[in-house]
Amino acid sequence: MKQDKQIKKFAKQLLQVSLEGREVSAERVDGVLKSLANNPPRHHIATLKAYLKLVAREVAKGTAVISYAGELSSDMVAGIVNQLSAKYGRAITSVLREDPSLIAGLRVVVDCDVYDASIASSLASLEASLS
Amino acid sequence: MSSVIEQIEQQIANLQTKTVATNTAKTLTVGDGVAKIDGLSEVMYNEMIEFPGGTIGIALNLEEDEVGAVVLGESNHLKEGDEVKCTGTLLSVPVGKGMLGRVVDALGRPVDGKGAIETTESYPVEKIAPGIIERKSVDQPLMTGIQAIDSMIPIGRGQRELIIGDRGTGKTTIAIDTIINQANINKVGLASGDPDFRPVYSIYVAVGQKNSNVARTLGVLEEKGALEYTIVVSAPAADSAANQYLAPYTGAALGEWFMANGQDALIVYDDLSKHAAAYRQMSLILKRPSGREAYPGDVFYLHSRLLERSARVNEDNGNGSLTALPIIETLAGDLSAYIPTNVISITDGQIFLETDLFNQGIRPAVSVGLSVSRVGSAAQIKATKQVAGKIKLELAQFRELAAFAQFGSDLDAKTRAQLDRGARIVELFKQPAFNPIAIEQQVGVLWAMQNNYFDDIDVSKMVSASDSLRDFLVSRKEALLTSIREKAKIDDDLSSQLKTAVDEWKNSFA
Repeated sequence: MKQDKQIKKFAKQLLQVSLEGREVSAERVDGVLKSLANNPPRHHIATLKAYLKLVAREVAKGTAVISYAGELSSDMVAGIVNQLSAKYGRAITSVLREDPSLIAGLRVVVDCDVYDASIASSLASLEASLS
Repeated sequence: MSSVIEQIEQQIANLQTKTVATNTAKTLTVGDGVAKIDGLSEVMYNEMIEFPGGTIGIALNLEEDEVGAVVLGESNHLKEGDEVKCTGTLLSVPVGKGMLGRVVDALGRPVDGKGAIETTESYPVEKIAPGIIERKSVDQPLMTGIQAIDSMIPIGRGQRELIIGDRGTGKTTIAIDTIINQANINKVGLASGDPDFRPVYSIYVAVGQKNSNVARTLGVLEEKGALEYTIVVSAPAADSAANQYLAPYTGAALGEWFMANGQDALIVYDDLSKHAAAYRQMSLILKRPSGREAYPGDVFYLHSRLLERSARVNEDNGNGSLTALPIIETLAGDLSAYIPTNVISITDGQIFLETDLFNQGIRPAVSVGLSVSRVGSAAQIKATKQVAGKIKLELAQFRELAAFAQFGSDLDAKTRAQLDRGARIVELFKQPAFNPIAIEQQVGVLWAMQNNYFDDIDVSKMVSASDSLRDFLVSRKEALLTSIREKAKIDDDLSSQLKTAVDEWKNSFA
């Protein structure tokens, strides 16, 4: 238990070093990894896993995963990214994924938040309300 | 038919332009009814969260980057990586008069096979208790129908009176008797058409009990016609610890609705020892730090916040009340254990039941010396005060003298008289289970005791004598009993009527 806490604490310190402003810097992450490889800490793998988890979470906060079915214009993507950047107060990058299971529409995921405007989820909620 | 089509079209039209925003996360681990969730950044404490398949959980541990939640109901289908959603609502249960006569689970869902419950309102399970300004002191009686309690340890509406004792000493019986008595009073009061009559609705919360016990209790309530004024919340031993933890709060929400709507309710928590054990189990699985007897540090708050919700509120807040009868099971009569001392300090008095008395055939086995009602005497009706004022003292003196009398046979006349009287009072207070006695009948019998009508009756015949007097009063002197009930005090006129009636009975009693 105590060991876990120490690893988490160290991983958080590594994350702080990896940030440039509020965003994860690829250069700094590279530097951290090199430093860890040269001077491996105790519980090296566990530390790396904890660091990975924190970095992944931080990256997810600045990434909008846009799943779509049907047509999606670049203007629409830009509009979504702009609106989300304004909402979260940080630069948001987009990752596009085509997902035919949505039938039509969009599903945008930013970290824990899900914005669903797809026909599939509408039908699911309609089904739930009728049952 | 066209309206149905319009309804669906409307739904589709709404859905076409709607974007649903949800806060989601992934399940990290699931085990023993507890899930660890990675994320859920916007979740509130005690918020309902939705697992796949419509399973509901409650967020109880909000940590820096994880959420600990208890799963309500079946958790076998949940797996690592499942998506979990915030619902944005705190846990609430359906409430209202439509719940009366029904048996529900910890989430207020019917489990009695009588179909859906017709109620439109819901009430939060966790709520801060009424504050000082909203409250009023206890001033109305709540009759249990048990002579020993109504005369010596009276309970008022809005009071919290603990029922405590070892296993098999009749704790549940006292609670059930009280519920039956409320139903009996409700029937008489509602039939009288008195506009000022305030019925008392009952809620029985069964925590960690065997299903067979709950079924037996239900059978008794149904047989005595009390179920129609009662809601049963059942979280039996087979239920998850989370459901057992929630059930008393669900019961409190059901009772609080009556109080908030200017009505009176009685709630029985049977029992809080098992509730504390369920909370301990949950806390240990959630990895909360444990303290004395492995209970978590907030086990006092667990019960204090529950019992503080029982109150009498003033006229500005509807003048309703919620009376609580929590039950605690002791081990070998140890009142100084952790949970018993906690609950004793929270409540406004306790009824202590002794195994020795129970085994001697003194039932209800109320220990006069250790039982107390801290606020109820203000609510006791004057008639009972007039006839039972000295009984508690006499009985306590009797118990003390009886212990000394065992060592010597040479007793003075005064001591012998005290012992004789005490033995008669003990016999008088014997009462079979599920047979509450109306307060006017209790007053009649205690008046006869106070005026020495039983002094020449053999102690072994006391039970039959008091039964006979009550039967006589019910069958032959109904008007007198009605007068006692309505006046609630014994004036000269009633006193002379009682004298005539008891004289008449005494002549007929062989």
